[in-house]
Amino acid sequence: MTEVLTVDHLQKRFGQFQALKDISLTIHAGEVFGFIGPNGAGKSTTIRTLLGILRPTAGHATIFGLDAWRDAVKIHRRLAYVPGDVNLWPNLTGGEVIDFLLRLNGQQHSARTDALIQQFELDPAKKARTYSKGNRQKVALIAAFSSDAELYIFDEPTSGLDPLMEEVFQQQVLALKQAGKSVLLSSHILSEVERMCDRIAIIRQGTIIEVGSLSEMRQLSRSTVHVTTQQPLAAIADWPTVHQFTASTPTQAVFAVDAEAMGQVMATLSQLGIVALTTTPPTLEDLFLRYYNSEAGHDDESLR
Amino acid sequence: MMTNRFANTWAILRLDLRHDWLKITLWIGGLAGLMVIAAGKFGGIYSTQQALVSIAETLKTPAMVALFGPFTATPPYAVAVIYGAEMMVFMGLFAAMMNVYFAVHATRAEEDSGTAELILARAVGRQSQLAAAMLELVLINVAAGCLEALGLQAANMAGSNAAGDWLFGLGLAAFGLMFGAAALLAAQVMSSARGATTLSYGWLGVTFIARMATDVANPDWTWWTFFGWIEKMGLYTTNRWLPVGLMLGFSVVVLAIAVTVAATRDIGAGIVSPRPGRRTARAWLQGPLTLLVRLERTSTLIWWLGLFILGAAYGSIFGTVGDLVKSNPMLAKLLGNSGVTAANHAVILSLANTLTVIFAVVATIPAVTTLLRLNTEERQGRLELLHAAPVSRLRLFSATVIQALVSGTAALALGVLGMAVAGNAVMTSPISLARFMRGFVGYWPALLVVCGLAALLVGCWPRWQRLIWLVPVYGVLSKYLGPMLNFPDWAQRLTPYGWVNAVPQHAVAWPPVAGMVALGVAFLVIAGIGYRRRDLTMN
Repeated sequence: MTEVLTVDHLQKRFGQFQALKDISLTIHAGEVFGFIGPNGAGKSTTIRTLLGILRPTAGHATIFGLDAWRDAVKIHRRLAYVPGDVNLWPNLTGGEVIDFLLRLNGQQHSARTDALIQQFELDPAKKARTYSKGNRQKVALIAAFSSDAELYIFDEPTSGLDPLMEEVFQQQVLALKQAGKSVLLSSHILSEVERMCDRIAIIRQGTIIEVGSLSEMRQLSRSTVHVTTQQPLAAIADWPTVHQFTASTPTQAVFAVDAEAMGQVMATLSQLGIVALTTTPPTLEDLFLRYYNSEAGHDDESLR
Repeated sequence: MMTNRFANTWAILRLDLRHDWLKITLWIGGLAGLMVIAAGKFGGIYSTQQALVSIAETLKTPAMVALFGPFTATPPYAVAVIYGAEMMVFMGLFAAMMNVYFAVHATRAEEDSGTAELILARAVGRQSQLAAAMLELVLINVAAGCLEALGLQAANMAGSNAAGDWLFGLGLAAFGLMFGAAALLAAQVMSSARGATTLSYGWLGVTFIARMATDVANPDWTWWTFFGWIEKMGLYTTNRWLPVGLMLGFSVVVLAIAVTVAATRDIGAGIVSPRPGRRTARAWLQGPLTLLVRLERTSTLIWWLGLFILGAAYGSIFGTVGDLVKSNPMLAKLLGNSGVTAANHAVILSLANTLTVIFAVVATIPAVTTLLRLNTEERQGRLELLHAAPVSRLRLFSATVIQALVSGTAALALGVLGMAVAGNAVMTSPISLARFMRGFVGYWPALLVVCGLAALLVGCWPRWQRLIWLVPVYGVLSKYLGPMLNFPDWAQRLTPYGWVNAVPQHAVAWPPVAGMVALGVAFLVIAGIGYRRRDLTMN
């Protein structure tokens, strides 16, 4: 697969504050890449560096094989971007802004633009000063989705949208995916990322701490097991690979298991005679909370 | 009812004062300092009765009346009387500017930024912010007035008295409050801070021009121009308090209207509800330059029209100014007809020089505002979408510089043109347009250098960009009051406006013009390089 975007040990310092310590990631053609992390972790700073708005202190960012700082204009011809905080010129209408943004990329208002305006239920004749946060986001989203680009970058694009509009957004992103476009999606809505993204990077305090597909990440984590057996199962509680063991009766328990020990646990449980069994893989939220909290100094054991 | 409307006003006032104290201190200190320093200088310059008589004669000429207001005192003159006559209009302008700034800043600007919403969700009355802004203006003006009066008492000019000192200080306070009240009303009427500021300055400009026209034509009519009340106080002569009462009364009326209007409108909206606009953009809206033209269209046209009217207003008094025989019939006998015409022209051209400096300084304002906009917009996050588009920084920077220079250049040209057209319409023997335009050619390079400096701050030191306003403020101070205060040569040459030779009296001196153009262009180039290399300012 060809690489659309490569970030190599990127660092950014604002005076004394090191906003980005070590960012490395790669996005391949046709991939929807999720970018998650707590507030202030450096998501927007990374994206702004990718857009050539900020100059890297060290390291490199290349998009389409071009340098993100030096060749910003060439790169921008081939990408579309929606910022997290969309601010528009108060005395232009939404329709004017959409057309203007399209023309900057050498494109025109098309039937697709009109269809998107309808789908997102935007009134393009209103002045931008009268738009709510969600409506301003719609303006930027419509301009981005109706551009023909190779890479789409979304920075928390749905933070102001209602659930119906969020659904429209997800459909549009999936359509881009089917058309073989590449997408970088930074989001707080983990279900959105879980549903759409092929691979995910988790950033924390300016460092990428995990990159991979959701299933790869699950491999590294624990599943939750609810089990009822015929014989008492208390012996399992002492295994080093079993965590947070809580038994409601001697033959009924809930616990978390490290992924690599799952086979062993299942073999033991079946010897005890399984009556009922459910295993739940960790959600992205579980993963996220686990990474987040381990940074905050909590012990892993205190978590599910 | 009262608590619903004005609850927690005191808390908001405290917040406003805490938030603005540095700006308030700088403004008040600057105004009072200027007055005290000028008072000190006057004593030195006009130390003899002969000097006083000569300046009094000058102040009685229509040209000086147009600039400084009428001079009605009778001999023997005292220094304080001259001081009062020369300083009142000028200080009034500054006091009005200070009030417009704080009035809009404490009301409309808070609504625009969304802070008003945050505060109104608390146990705060719907009009508490407006009430707090009014109280803030009263406090600022009273503090400024008292400090000015105390400063004048300390300066203790010959012929001054405590009554005159306090009348001047408190008169300025009432005058400032009058324009602050108008700005508070403008903030209720318009739907943005920028609109409110523009309307307030429009009102200041209209009253100023009306005051000038009536002063030259018939000073009795000046009573009807609002601005003119400050001239009617008879500082250090009759010391009348009636105009102060009028100013305060008018302020109360305007404030009452502002409160009424505020009660009828929604927060965040003006009283003029926004009309729906275009569903699609016009075909010419294609890139950063056309975007700027579109965004600044209205304000550019207002500036151009304003400069033309200002020029025409000054030009319309050239007939009176350039009629020396009227005030001195002996002159016709001494000089003969052609001699009188030459003398009249000399007077007009000399006034045209002062006026052209004023036009150049005023024309700098829209140009510099456009340049600063590059960073202001960036901080408000509006350019993020533009930076993600294939628009190079150099292109965006160049577009801003072009829009700034075009609006500033046209504003200066229109000011000079208005002055020439109106002047020639009323003069018996006209002066060619080309002659007046020497002023434009001479002062345009100064405009370019100031724009270059502004661009340099924008491109390389964005945090300090507001310092650029010191240049036009000091420029108008040194060229308007400088000659009266006997500023030394170097002090008049601190800003580019002081580097221009006396045009349109003399021919344009090309070497300094070439030098200034080169300097201005060099600043712009360095600024462009700086803007390309740095991080963009973040919101």
